[in-house]
Amino acid sequence: MALSSILRIYRARLRVRAVVVQELLAVLGIGVGVALLFASQVASTSLNGSVAELSKDLVGNMQLQLQARGPEGFDKKLLYSVRRIPGVAQALPVLQEQADAIGPTGRESVTLLGAAPSFAHSGGPLLRRFSTAQLAGQQELGLPAPVAKAIGAESLLPIEVQVGTRISSTLLGATLQEGDIGALVNSPVAIAPVAYAEQLTGMVGKVSRIFVKTEAGHEAEVRASLVKLAAGRLNVEPADFDSTVFAKAAAPANQSAELFSAISALVGFMFAFNALLITAGLRRELVGELRRHGATRAMTVGTLLFDALILGVLGCALGLILGDALSAALFAGNPGYLSYAFPVGSQRIVTWQSVAIAVGAGMLAAIVGVLAPLRSTLSRPPRRSARVEDLPGAGPGVDRGPTAATLAAGLACLIATTAILIFDPAGAVLGSLTLLAALLLLLPALFDAVLAGFERVQRMLPSAAMSLAAIELRAPVTRTRSLAIAATGAVAVFGSVAIGGARANLQGGLNRTAKDMNRVADVWVSVSGAANTLGTTPFRIGSAARLAQLPGVRSLAIYRGGFLDIGDRRVWAIAPPASSPAPIPASQLLEGDLARADARLRAGGWTVVSKAIADERHLQIGSSFLLPSPHPIVLRVAGLSTNIGWPPGAVILNSADYARAWGGAEASAYNIDLQPNASPARVIAEIGRALGPRSGLSVQTAGQRELEWRASSHEGLARLSQISVLVLIAAALAMAMAMAAMIWQRRHQIAYLKRQGYRRGVLWRGLLCESAVLVGAGCSIGALFGLYGQVLLSHALAHVTGFPVVFSVGVTVAVSSVALVSVAAATIVAVPGYLAAGMKPSVNPG
Amino acid sequence: MLELRDLVKRYRVGEGEPIRAVDGVSLNVGNGELLALYGPSGSGKSTLLDLVAALLKPDSGEVLFDGLEISALSEEGAARYRLHDLGFVSQQADLLPGALVIENAALKLWLSDPRRAQARVRPLLERLGLGDRLKQRAEQLSAGERQRLTIALALSTDPRLVLADEPTGSLDSKRGREVLGLLREVCKERGVAMLLATHDPQAAAFADRVFELRDGRLRPYEPAAVAPGARAVGGAGAVGVAGSAGPAGVAGSARAAAGAS
Repeated sequence: MALSSILRIYRARLRVRAVVVQELLAVLGIGVGVALLFASQVASTSLNGSVAELSKDLVGNMQLQLQARGPEGFDKKLLYSVRRIPGVAQALPVLQEQADAIGPTGRESVTLLGAAPSFAHSGGPLLRRFSTAQLAGQQELGLPAPVAKAIGAESLLPIEVQVGTRISSTLLGATLQEGDIGALVNSPVAIAPVAYAEQLTGMVGKVSRIFVKTEAGHEAEVRASLVKLAAGRLNVEPADFDSTVFAKAAAPANQSAELFSAISALVGFMFAFNALLITAGLRRELVGELRRHGATRAMTVGTLLFDALILGVLGCALGLILGDALSAALFAGNPGYLSYAFPVGSQRIVTWQSVAIAVGAGMLAAIVGVLAPLRSTLSRPPRRSARVEDLPGAGPGVDRGPTAATLAAGLACLIATTAILIFDPAGAVLGSLTLLAALLLLLPALFDAVLAGFERVQRMLPSAAMSLAAIELRAPVTRTRSLAIAATGAVAVFGSVAIGGARANLQGGLNRTAKDMNRVADVWVSVSGAANTLGTTPFRIGSAARLAQLPGVRSLAIYRGGFLDIGDRRVWAIAPPASSPAPIPASQLLEGDLARADARLRAGGWTVVSKAIADERHLQIGSSFLLPSPHPIVLRVAGLSTNIGWPPGAVILNSADYARAWGGAEASAYNIDLQPNASPARVIAEIGRALGPRSGLSVQTAGQRELEWRASSHEGLARLSQISVLVLIAAALAMAMAMAAMIWQRRHQIAYLKRQGYRRGVLWRGLLCESAVLVGAGCSIGALFGLYGQVLLSHALAHVTGFPVVFSVGVTVAVSSVALVSVAAATIVAVPGYLAAGMKPSVNPG
Repeated sequence: MLELRDLVKRYRVGEGEPIRAVDGVSLNVGNGELLALYGPSGSGKSTLLDLVAALLKPDSGEVLFDGLEISALSEEGAARYRLHDLGFVSQQADLLPGALVIENAALKLWLSDPRRAQARVRPLLERLGLGDRLKQRAEQLSAGERQRLTIALALSTDPRLVLADEPTGSLDSKRGREVLGLLREVCKERGVAMLLATHDPQAAAFADRVFELRDGRLRPYEPAAVAPGARAVGGAGAVGVAGSAGPAGVAGSARAAAGAS
């Protein structure tokens, strides 16, 4: 059929107001679906992308880097040796330290980047806006505008910078805008000339990394020379290695985000599909008309595909706008805990893949939804196409229930999920998808079972409203839509319960870790700043002896800790003092005898490593391994632990071993125990006075520190809760919209019942009852599968990522999710239901 | 039992003059009486039935049912009246799609006696020849069976009056005669009055009395006005053949065709 004819048909149809309204509803449905999918995609890509972009924009076209293993850096003179290596085209030093920028109204954790002047023309885009002169001689800092705003600082006004315990006054030389550094404006960085950074950090003559650009074809030999130069005390890695290490650290967060993306996609698709089912009647009539007037199948399909194109394009455009707003409003932050070791930015990164996936799903929903009526109409003679008898399920020979093949496929998916749970917990995402497939395949049969139960109840407690609801629920005419509505609720609640439950288990595990790790001392003294929540910033032991003498203090011990790259894992090294009551938290030990491991750790030369690291490196209890610290030492494995809440994993070693391995006697915290009758508040005040106002140290009780940890982990998991709620809201809206449309399309039937003497109240109760059963059945089935999904995901978190997980069945999450969606959908439906029930019995003038 | 007093109902179509769909109709229907309103499409038959069913309010005049003024009933009162005192049989054989035969028949009884509704309606379905179709869905029935099912629904609450609006309009003449015969028979058995609106002279012949409605006005039946060429019902008389039969003759021949006593 010619496009002009299709256009004429389309324009003619749009003159009918009901058609326009229904088509707009379909556009809205597709839009909401696309928005959900797009927003969750952007959330996922933004997390990884923020670190990768910073890395790329800093190093430009450098290929390799020589990297310090600890915060103390290494001798700058090594730069000359690197430059002398044959094949090195360029070598640029960077001094990088965790710092706090302090302004008139607040403080923000930033990564201080001290860059060499030559970065101005040889580095990545981040430093190109600076002149060589700026990076050579100026004694000031550059801060991205959002950081400057957060601390209340303005250009050319003084601010303070704290590195470790060292607090320096400086000048905010430049507020970097988006026009200067693009999306990196959202990265928490502070930029200074390397010489000035040395001064601010107190690391004169030291650098953290040397980035190397090699001449063409010389990368391998330069790498070999760098390894030789590193002498086992420095790391030689690709220039953009930070993004690799970050990807490993963010893997669990990304994996859950990916799973939610898939679930969002499905809910979005169901939303759009439900919306399109509203227009199925209109399209069925159109197909009938076209065929009666002699249109061939190809012409009919062409006309419908044009409809799909219009709906899809409008819906996708709306969805991308909504999704963008959603991701900006809800997903602006990133998991805070990862910023302890990485410069995680809050920029939103939109890739073409995110757009393509969202638009693809939207168009697919439009095409499937628009072509759906064809199945039932093209198979019949044209003259009957538009009649009620041709509605799906109305005539003989129509599939009215789940087939044996569907049931078998559903059971096979369920068995596959169980097999994955038992034999390959690593395949949690795949397992979740097979479980989701099982849910969708078994849904018709389970839905029928719920209906059978409802009918049984209805027979025991007969009433007109329940009888009407029962009839409507099992009517083949509306079965497709009923199942689509139930499936929408089921998928949304499945995702919410599975991920929400696993999140609750993980939160429980992290809370326990926070307690176990912090309650080993009454009071902690550590470098202040949010980035030091884990106690990983070293400071000089100067005040220890003085503090130990304060009234109320029973003992003071030195705690050490920091980050260390082991392969592509940035591992948390934990070194409690030998006097610690529990150097290995009992709840975190997965393998090994606690008492023996404890004794070995206190004796020295032994370590407890996260199981994930041990598995990767084939370590067992008793194995020896070389800790790749600044001063490498050989340790033996005393036990295997969880990852202690840090995604890439942890190693626990004796405090003295740590000092040896890091080549310094600095502390990361003082663990202070109080006299039995001492008042913690009074002792804390005493310690604060003794340290002085500009010590750069904070004093906290174990309880305060535990709360800080909890808040941090809660923030890290907040995005999962947000997406979960969003999916539930979208599902409730989708179901309410579909049910409201279903009620609206049933107005002739309602009029018929009113003619028979049915009153508004009975009809309204019938509609509410039907809605409640429909939504409740879908959501409950979803919740049931969601509980299984929770077991699957919790299992994966515990066994694959090594997170400390407290296993529990998330009945609360399940019940609240079912209640939230059911009540919301039923409440929304109550209004159109009441209006429809109040309509006049139809009258036929004649 | 039913008395219509000078009923008037006007409709306005677009900007034009109002059309008098029912124009000063007065009529009495006695207990158990079968009365036909004969007339072409647009003559006001359905409007008149809707006024009787309290689905419409008259512009003037009264509808009295056992002395009670129907047009003054509230929405609730009208619903109760339709539930307990009226039964409907229409051309479309309106039924609940998806509901079983027995459920469709028990639809009205669910409101008054939900626990025994299906048991109460079963003998009636058997009487109407649907005893072996109870567990089938309505849309699986033939057109004639569907119409019999609407009769079952109409009579399920033992109403005093059945309003039948072109009940054979969607059936062929043989099935139409069967259904009308059955409807007449069952109404007579139960002493239920019926107001039958039809444009079909053969259908009108099943009534005890026939009135003609034309342009909203009710007038005595004049066989000459019936479309020429209409055939005699059951071959025993002629309806619509000018001068061949009066109202009594029509009724008599219809009863003969239905096998009624």
